Amino acid sequence: MKNSSFYNTASALCYIILIGIILSSSPALAKKRLRPQLSERQQNQISGIITDGRAPLPGVTIAIKNQINYVVLSDFDGKYSLLAKANDTLVVSYIGYKTAIIPINYRKNIHIQLQEDITSLQEVRINAGYYSVKEKERTGSIARITSKDIETQPVTNVLATMQGRMAGVDIVQDSGSPGGSFSIKIRGQNSLRADGNQPLYIIDGVPYSSETIGSTATSGTAPTMTSPLNSINPSDVESIEVLKDADATAIYGSRGANGVVLITTKKGKAGVTQFSVNSSSSFGTVTDTPKLMNTQQYLAMRKQAFANDGVTVYPSSAYDINGTWSPNRYTDWQDKLIGGTARIYNLQASVSGGSLRTQYLLSGNYRTETTVFPGDFKYSKGSAHFNMNHMSDDERFKMTFSGNYTSQNNNQPSVDLTPVSRILPPNAPELYDANGNLNWENGTWTNPLAGLESEFESRINDLVANVVLSYRFVPNLEFKSSFGFTDLDNNENRTQPFTMYDPSFGLDSKTSSITTNLTTRSSWIVEPQLNYTAGIGKGHFEVLLGSTLQNQRTERLYQFGSGFASNSLIHDLASATIKNIRLNDATVYKYAALFARLNYNWDTRYMLNLTGRRDGSSRFGPGKQFATFGAVGAAWLFSNEAFLKDSKVLSFGKLRASYGSTGNDQIGDYQFLDTYVSTGNNYQGIVGLQPARLFNPEFGWESNQKFEMALETGFFKDRIFLTTAYYSNRSSNQLVGMPLPGSTGFSTLYGNLDATVQNSGFELTLRTINLTQQLKWSTNFNISLNRNKLLSYPGLESSTYANTYVVGEPTSIMKVYHYTGMNLTTAVYEFEDMNRDGLITSLGDKQTLVNLTPSYFGGLENQLRYKGAQLDFLFQFVKQQAFAPQPGVPGVMQNQPESVNNPNAQQPYTAGKNGNVVTAYFRYATSDGAVEDASYIRLKNISLTYDLPLKFSKGLRCQLYWQGQNLLTFTNYSYGDPEFKMSNNYLPPLKVNAIGVKLSF
Amino acid sequence: MKNYIKPIILFIAFFPFVGCDDFVDVAVPYSQLTGNLVFEDANTANAAIADIYSKLRDTGMLTGSSLGSAACLGLYADELVYYGANNENSLFIYNNTLLGNTAAVSQLWNQSYHQIYCANAIIEGCERSQTLSTANKNQFIGEAVFIRALIHFYLTNLYGDVPYIDATNYETNRLLPRMPVATVSASIIADLNRAIALLPENYLSADRVRPNRSTAIALLARVYLYKGDWAEAANAASAVLNNPIYVWENNIDKTFLKECKATIWQFIPKVAGNNTDEGALFILKSGPPTFAGLRPELFQSFGSNDLRKTRWIASVTDGKTTWYHANKYKQKSNTGTSVEYSIIFRLAEQYLIRAEARARQGELIGAKEDLNVVRKTAGLSNTTAVTADAIVAAVIQERRFELFTESGHRFFDLKRNGALDSVLPTVKPGWNSTDVLWPIPEKELLANPNLVQNLGY
Repeated sequence: MKNSSFYNTASALCYIILIGIILSSSPALAKKRLRPQLSERQQNQISGIITDGRAPLPGVTIAIKNQINYVVLSDFDGKYSLLAKANDTLVVSYIGYKTAIIPINYRKNIHIQLQEDITSLQEVRINAGYYSVKEKERTGSIARITSKDIETQPVTNVLATMQGRMAGVDIVQDSGSPGGSFSIKIRGQNSLRADGNQPLYIIDGVPYSSETIGSTATSGTAPTMTSPLNSINPSDVESIEVLKDADATAIYGSRGANGVVLITTKKGKAGVTQFSVNSSSSFGTVTDTPKLMNTQQYLAMRKQAFANDGVTVYPSSAYDINGTWSPNRYTDWQDKLIGGTARIYNLQASVSGGSLRTQYLLSGNYRTETTVFPGDFKYSKGSAHFNMNHMSDDERFKMTFSGNYTSQNNNQPSVDLTPVSRILPPNAPELYDANGNLNWENGTWTNPLAGLESEFESRINDLVANVVLSYRFVPNLEFKSSFGFTDLDNNENRTQPFTMYDPSFGLDSKTSSITTNLTTRSSWIVEPQLNYTAGIGKGHFEVLLGSTLQNQRTERLYQFGSGFASNSLIHDLASATIKNIRLNDATVYKYAALFARLNYNWDTRYMLNLTGRRDGSSRFGPGKQFATFGAVGAAWLFSNEAFLKDSKVLSFGKLRASYGSTGNDQIGDYQFLDTYVSTGNNYQGIVGLQPARLFNPEFGWESNQKFEMALETGFFKDRIFLTTAYYSNRSSNQLVGMPLPGSTGFSTLYGNLDATVQNSGFELTLRTINLTQQLKWSTNFNISLNRNKLLSYPGLESSTYANTYVVGEPTSIMKVYHYTGMNLTTAVYEFEDMNRDGLITSLGDKQTLVNLTPSYFGGLENQLRYKGAQLDFLFQFVKQQAFAPQPGVPGVMQNQPESVNNPNAQQPYTAGKNGNVVTAYFRYATSDGAVEDASYIRLKNISLTYDLPLKFSKGLRCQLYWQGQNLLTFTNYSYGDPEFKMSNNYLPPLKVNAIGVKLSF
Repeated sequence: MKNYIKPIILFIAFFPFVGCDDFVDVAVPYSQLTGNLVFEDANTANAAIADIYSKLRDTGMLTGSSLGSAACLGLYADELVYYGANNENSLFIYNNTLLGNTAAVSQLWNQSYHQIYCANAIIEGCERSQTLSTANKNQFIGEAVFIRALIHFYLTNLYGDVPYIDATNYETNRLLPRMPVATVSASIIADLNRAIALLPENYLSADRVRPNRSTAIALLARVYLYKGDWAEAANAASAVLNNPIYVWENNIDKTFLKECKATIWQFIPKVAGNNTDEGALFILKSGPPTFAGLRPELFQSFGSNDLRKTRWIASVTDGKTTWYHANKYKQKSNTGTSVEYSIIFRLAEQYLIRAEARARQGELIGAKEDLNVVRKTAGLSNTTAVTADAIVAAVIQERRFELFTESGHRFFDLKRNGALDSVLPTVKPGWNSTDVLWPIPEKELLANPNLVQNLGY
């Protein structure tokens, strides 16, 4: 049924397009005949120099008013010349400057000084994916950063560049290890599944799958498996737009529910050939570490613990205190194991240029990054980016090609030394013995550096290529087709050589092993589109019709080998005596869609935008594959009304609203099939088959209704520009892996949940231009508040979520014990017996709700310029709570934060024998007593750039810069870095200082 | 107009694509087979059941690795001392401070029920199959029913009242309440009788790595013993002991070799040349142990002329301290050709079951005969016990020496004889009488509103 309606829609679309062609061609032809020819005019040679008042400006576009086909560019010295009639008017435009309209007025030499335009942002065209829209005319909610913001940051992941700069976009770094990933949430968590909240990434029009390409058996130290997003080189990015509301995202239909991140890479610019080289060196250290006990404090704790337990003879395994290890040694393990300096080198070079019709850009980047761990580990990344644009002489045919190729090589230890650095007793032995070998202290400890023998290595090659061909049949009808291709391969492995273990175990290379993961993912996409524009009176129409066909294939091969003749052969699977293929599969994801947009703009006062998409996805079973999504957006530019047009105060005013639906199909492939999969497990020479999952063919789309209302106002020629937005998104028909009791054989079942989750919130962005004279100073501020709420859940009580969610509360709540304090007689932590049954049980008494999602977050950015110097700095702030990590019962053989050394607030130390204390300790870890403020304000980014005044060599520009990331953090959080709360298991983000030089000529 | 012809052709050429309605249909990926297809062919059905044995060997209750019953219950009771790092799982087990959210608790539970699901899927698949021969169906269903009974037996002994799962339907299973131990026990016995009726007497292969009828009977003997149905226990044990394919091994050094004829059922290692997980885990090459060692008191409690003390236990020393370890399996790593398999059922247990069951019923002579078979091989003289109670006590004692570090026998013996609270507190300061049962995993309670927690958690 649904299939046939899809076909009908497709046929209908073809007819509409054909009719459109016929209708629009005849008047257009007529117009062409009437157009006067250039040669009929009397031409004069006009020339001059264009400057910004200080230096000549190359590459400025000079056009003649009402003549679309004739444009020239200024050369390297700012010189231009063109032919024009004496009564023509020149239109001189350049990005970042006010467009100058200069009547020729019978002159031959016209020198032009352009005024820098700091408020022209309203005229900038914003990329909305399938179309672009002028900032002032947009009806949707789109946040944006450009290369100017990105260039000031010494980071390697494109998501890092957005942190703190966009309202409604919550980004958290997962680990400070090189190549570590970031998690992103746009306007809160819609899906109950943690892995169902990824936005859709589009690079130059090509959807880019952010699904992990790693395997748990081979991944490195990050908490998440290898993410493909590292392949995007931030310095090749021209702009990042984040689409948030229904108006902007509904055209992405089933994949727009969590927002869309559009990444546009740099394009070639017409003009003289420009070379640019940018080189920098950075130094990174961990941001913050908790203060731990020293040896004296630690041993006092241990002695007390055994005394409390009534143990007088220390057990033979208590090496720290029974005399086996020296009581006089002290090592600051955090300094020793994660206190190193990561060195980062970055080199970027580009060449661009071209004529009016054809432009190109070629750039290359090479970056290496070492770690803060001891040892020789390196993450290196090389990338090439090429762009070419061409336009035919009649400007009807246009072609754009963009290609990005990235090669990453990441070699890391396969253990993160952060957790061990926080619990190793401070008097633990030396790392190396007198001969320089790893010291095992007669088998009394596991040398933490032994973990570094096990290496993780990942080589990822990634190609993203895109061609857009377009042809304008008549001035207002354009056919465009976009072709995209991505090809990613990840060759990852983790070794476990016998040298990881104490040599006294007598192991040899027969026990060394390697696990490998070869994942390749390739996709293609074709998107033919038709654009039609028409003006009727003061009204202006834009119509877009298009379709998408996409195919993505992922192949995985996981292998294991062990038993090598020598460790030096460990990377050669052929040398392994035991070889085992753990997984070998291929998954295909197919996607087809039709989409449309109708935009009406009346007199730049009233704007209406209708978008829609009909989607089919292979991730759903027969009969569930197709669905339709759509949105309506409207805006009223009231500052263009007659009564406000001449206001001295209000320079811009727009009210906009949108409503619509989007969907989510992030459920993984084939989940609707009832199948057996090969396990790779061998029994009697038979490779086993196991049921892949609990079978549910019935699930379908998750749908998401979004509403937004926003007011954008500019005051005093937009020197103060304020945007406030309210949104309310409701996600229903939740597509989740419902937790099932283990007694069903599996822990989850994929299906739709009849529950509604609401995310609503406020976003505010304020841009002010404080000073514009010699010293230029502008400020950007953004703040976002999101409230998540489970609106309804019929049958919650009888569902598997009965003890997880509460209707009316956020879905991110956790139910914990209520801590009532320490009993002064027994000296044991106590908790409220909520159900009054006389017992403390997790089910009955974990009734107190805590919510760890940020209550608000944002950023404050300042930009100052004085002559050739520019200073940018960004403070990021987050208001949130977190569990203070409970590293283990104080008194057992592991180090503790110094703050634990406070007998009045603590339970008595125990070496593990006091069951009541141990139980209460772990209850405390899941009680509201362990929740503390983890808000922070961080100097996320600072950048100081100085333009050397090189008067002697024109055209050469030399910039020196210093950039810092995460330099200062203000927080009350007691246990290290507050950014990824709850976790003391991963390396915190690094504090990075970079110095560099950028040359362009 | 003719300027447009080329682009129009180009453009129209794309649109037929869009009409393909079945574009978004995908085929089953090559690494998967649809559920029905698996049971149309004896080879794929066999691969499905072989996978359960891999799972039993590598995960869950019967695995010899650190989270199986041999290690967990050895630590939990008084057989092993934990020397390893501050690992939440093993340390909590050793200190008897388990919590509902301890990973080991839910891991054992989930892995066990997953294995049961796989067994149920095989039973249902075979019953549905139109093409499998009756002989194949009997074999596969018999094995699956046996596995289901075996895992439920461990679950009920460890967690007390548990749901007995005999179908794959998650809509029913997700709400099943805990069933009384007696109900679970009755279902286990019914399943075992079904397995005994279906399974052939002969092994599928000479290495005894798939259960046969006698394996099901051997488990039945144990189930009756735990229930206190002495006559049935003795009868079942006799049925195994009278079977001529089992031959008592008089040489204590050969008991744990893979060819031993006293073995009833064992697991073949994953990789050719590998030996047992128990050997890899327990055998020490140097001290101090990184995981666990045998409790010195256990070593000292063996009689000095007990061969098991010298042949089945070994020690390492660093010059100052000596650590003991189980040395029943003597191979720690790969030997090119495997020499030892993980044994799940062996004849000695059947002798001891019958000895105890006979003594409890007053058949004292027969009881002593059975007990002496085991003692003789250990180099010990005949038992001196005279009264029924003394003989029972001697059998329990013998079980401790014979079956140490095997599949949790010690803990279950203490439990079924009500001796936990008298024996353990002296050696395990963390012991509480409610520790007799493990907690139901907290996640399980959250996901199934009909479950209630055990006392003390």
